[in-house]
Amino acid sequence: MNPALDLELTRLMAAPPARVWRCWTEPDLLRQWWAPRPVTTRHAEIDLQPGGRFHTIMVLPDGKDHPTDGCFLEIQPERRLIFTDTLNAGFRPATTPMFGFTAIISLTPEAGGTRYHALVMHRSPEIRDQHQAMGFHEGWGTAAGQLDALAKDL
Amino acid sequence: MAQHDPTLSHIFQALSDPTRRAILTRLMAGPAPVSELARPTGMALPTVMRHLAVLEGAQLIDSAKTGRTRLCRARPATLVAANTWLDAQRALWEARTDRLEAFLETLTETPDEPRS
Repeated sequence: MNPALDLELTRLMAAPPARVWRCWTEPDLLRQWWAPRPVTTRHAEIDLQPGGRFHTIMVLPDGKDHPTDGCFLEIQPERRLIFTDTLNAGFRPATTPMFGFTAIISLTPEAGGTRYHALVMHRSPEIRDQHQAMGFHEGWGTAAGQLDALAKDL
Repeated sequence: MAQHDPTLSHIFQALSDPTRRAILTRLMAGPAPVSELARPTGMALPTVMRHLAVLEGAQLIDSAKTGRTRLCRARPATLVAANTWLDAQRALWEARTDRLEAFLETLTETPDEPRS
């Protein structure tokens, strides 16, 4: 791990790994938590195999589409999911990755729930300005505060 | 933080090397001459000088010659910019995980059968 470029988070979730896995891998479920309100996810494509496409289209508050594209690298059902935005479907190098990251999501059964661990490795922050220009930064940053509303609506 | 910060990629490039991180960590404790920074690395002086030049180019350290020794100092303010960027990424992932967890709460009453 490179502390300057990587981040790591871990949670103990009440839901069992099977359910957490479904939320990550079924488009209809992913769409419901993927974007921070008021951003919505109108489309999610999850081709669950190494080299498979991980594509979402979010709708920003100003009505503009914001597509993201990535590629799955490893799929261990209910245990581990690895994907990156530095590659597109079929492992084709991405020309303009949004963040330049690889994420490793690990699920381990614990206490009737799930020990959830995410390791996100970043390439570099060069595209940060693009990120901010899209007004995304603010949207993501305030997302935690919007959780209550989200949970209530669903 | 500035909207456009051309030095940020230099900062991350500089921090991507474990030797440079170790040097910077040492300097966070206080200024040190090049010879003292070189000793624990076990590297030849020119190699260490190259690492120091990268750190200096990223404005993570500066150095000044006093007599026959060159004294290096950390510039902690530069690190703040790097932290702010990574903190933003962390906030994104923390918030995403919050949403996943909250969404899972809403699923507790539905059966775990795969959707068709």
